[in-house]
Amino acid sequence: MNAQRAHPRPRRSPAVLAGSLMVLAMPCALAAQTAPSAKPGPTSAAVAPAAPCEACHGAHGEGMAAAHVPRIAGQSAEYLKKQLDNYADGTRDSPIMTNFAKALSEKQRITYAMQYASMPVLQGPQPKTLNAAQLARGHQLAFQGDERIRVQACNSCHGPDGIGVLHAAPYLAGQSADYIASALKSFQQGTRKNDAGELMRSIVKSLNDADVIAISGYFAQVNSSTK
Amino acid sequence: MVQRLKEVDVVVIGVGMVGSIVAKELAAAGYKVVGLERGQTRFTVPEFQSPAIHDELRFDIRKAMMQDNTREPVTFRNLGSQVALPVRRWESFLPGTGLGGSMVHWNGQTYRFQANDFQLATRTRERYGKNFLDADLTIQDWGVTYDDLEPHYDRFEYLLGTSGKAGNIKGQIQPGGDPHESPRSRDYPTPPQKEHYSGAMFRKAASSLGYHPFPQPSSNLSQPYTNPEGMKLNACVFCGFCERYACEHYAKSVPQTVILPVLLANPNFELRTGCQVQRINLDSTKKHATGVTYIDAVGREFEQPASLVISSMFSINNVRMLLLSGIGAPYDPATGQGVVGRNYAYQTMSSVASFFDDDVHINPFMASGASGTLINDFAGDNFDHSGLGFIGGAFIGAVNTNGRPIQYHPVPPGTPNWGKGWKQAVVKHYNHTVMFSLHGSSAAQRQNYLDLDPTYRDAWGQPLLRMTFDFPQNDIKMAAHVTAKAVEIGKAMGAKQVAGSPRKGPYTVTQYQTTHNTGGSVMGDNPKTSVVNRYLQSWDVPNVFVIGACNYPQNASWNPTGTLGALTYWAIDALKNKYLKNPGRLVSA
Repeated sequence: MNAQRAHPRPRRSPAVLAGSLMVLAMPCALAAQTAPSAKPGPTSAAVAPAAPCEACHGAHGEGMAAAHVPRIAGQSAEYLKKQLDNYADGTRDSPIMTNFAKALSEKQRITYAMQYASMPVLQGPQPKTLNAAQLARGHQLAFQGDERIRVQACNSCHGPDGIGVLHAAPYLAGQSADYIASALKSFQQGTRKNDAGELMRSIVKSLNDADVIAISGYFAQVNSSTK
Repeated sequence: MVQRLKEVDVVVIGVGMVGSIVAKELAAAGYKVVGLERGQTRFTVPEFQSPAIHDELRFDIRKAMMQDNTREPVTFRNLGSQVALPVRRWESFLPGTGLGGSMVHWNGQTYRFQANDFQLATRTRERYGKNFLDADLTIQDWGVTYDDLEPHYDRFEYLLGTSGKAGNIKGQIQPGGDPHESPRSRDYPTPPQKEHYSGAMFRKAASSLGYHPFPQPSSNLSQPYTNPEGMKLNACVFCGFCERYACEHYAKSVPQTVILPVLLANPNFELRTGCQVQRINLDSTKKHATGVTYIDAVGREFEQPASLVISSMFSINNVRMLLLSGIGAPYDPATGQGVVGRNYAYQTMSSVASFFDDDVHINPFMASGASGTLINDFAGDNFDHSGLGFIGGAFIGAVNTNGRPIQYHPVPPGTPNWGKGWKQAVVKHYNHTVMFSLHGSSAAQRQNYLDLDPTYRDAWGQPLLRMTFDFPQNDIKMAAHVTAKAVEIGKAMGAKQVAGSPRKGPYTVTQYQTTHNTGGSVMGDNPKTSVVNRYLQSWDVPNVFVIGACNYPQNASWNPTGTLGALTYWAIDALKNKYLKNPGRLVSA
């Protein structure tokens, strides 16, 4: 309960995101060369974020909620590394991340994953987007699940209040609603298939669009990212 | 005042695994079925969700899912000359209660017995001669054969979605499976679970000694599966909370995940919970059941008339129900006469701990209840017993089911039992130890039996079940023999220290071993030595069927659930295709 608080402001608006990405898409190799060479640690990571990630995920790993870009600060290094590997090997598909990940060496993936993992988890919820009924449904699915559609509680894996469980399951609390929704959709559509035992793919088959909105909006407004 | 209810076709006592399957089949066949469950309803959502379901203190230590032994314990003694006392806290075995029964908190280890097991008396005589068995053993054949049960094993495994690797399909030995298994008609419905690191070490060592390691058949599923009832299950996440817990992920095959929703949707079925059945009622001839009497959760007494009664409670509770109802002659160990309560058997559990250096990381917590690797080379009659002085055997396996903080702390022999020395040893060895489970057979013996306690009664005023049990010498010898073999495997794994703990007597009811209580209402061809016939129909009261591990004449080297599932479908087949078409004795006495 003694986590540092950080209140970063997104430094780029969604409107400039596309431009940033175009710039970044070209100099990947260059960016990699200019990445910090020092052994990553809590101190060095805090002052020297990974350049190629920063444009979208922010200097503090805050992401860009409105552009479906997730917060990654304090997400586990194992989880982040696995996502980079999976973008590269095609088990997780993204028009943006695939190219980035493919250009990274094994060592770079580890370095960036560890840097963002070592950043303080960000405080402060995302904007509220749900009405009371939607919030109640999101809360139900998060805490309890739904026997009728045979879906277990999200928190069963993602931890109490969705704070994440080490490398096994990413945190959802305070995550961008649009990102969570797009992640669930990517499991539904099969463009993301890097879940162990097809667990997420099994679950999302039972969720309808309203459930996806409820879950995503619910976790976005949870302000419990202390760990 | 007893309220008499409207007659139904079938009353099922206990809505666990057996009760759910039987009720589903009979309701689907058009019969009006009432299921009486003493516990409460519970489902994956909301009752089984974490983090609440991972409360080790509540479920592991305080046994939250188990039969309420403040109201309904059993009494226990080792010897008939002793006074039995009530077991006020479950330790040695853990009978469950509530919708879904004991299966809700099982580990998911799903075996078949071997062909030899069903004809144990005959085969032992044939192979080792007439006088091989100790005189006080009451080993006998089952009255069914493996071939009778094979289609029903198959159906049960496909209901559960069991994850495994076949070793013998229609006589063809399959690489990677168990070459000792009796022929199966097809492979398991899903591939084996991922192998634990301890299992990989075991596999290598066991292979180097010429044994035949294979993946443990698991009903914590390796991949998503839809069973023939249309129920969808998820893949297991290896959380390490199977036995004594329920699964929050719809990944463990239990009634709630594989069949109950289908049953509950059938208008021919009515579930009543909180119903404590007092007895099966008989008419004046004592040869025909008229239904059951039960007391509901607020203390009202009801009579539920029925044409057919299925006793599908946990093994030992089935036996008690027969004794309370006066069905069948109670067994008398002094004369060897009578059958109800006879041939109570258990499971002879031994273990081996292999301690490694700090650089070998086992991660015991990353496990399912059945993701082990094992060998059957010393199970059943898979090795020559000539000159050994015992029958039976045990599977040996690196069966790492969990690394839970309160219960799991392997330490080498000689470690202090408490204090600083113990704590240091726990820290040192927690992540660097491989535990083997040696899951041994249990021979039935004349002096081991179940009856009604003459002194102690339950909360409803009914006599408690009294258990009289100690390990037969046969099984103590078996445990010593197999443990020595397992120690050799531990050494072949390169462990720094290997500690074998062969099961020794006397049996203690205050130490957890396993919930594999068998016998007491055994099946067979002869009414003088069995309670039910080969179709699990009471010899004495033909409209009562008793289905449980209580039907096993003695217990084999494997977990009993797979065989119980096969027997359940076997009995259903007889009910649907024989009994219900023409009610009466299916086998003439």
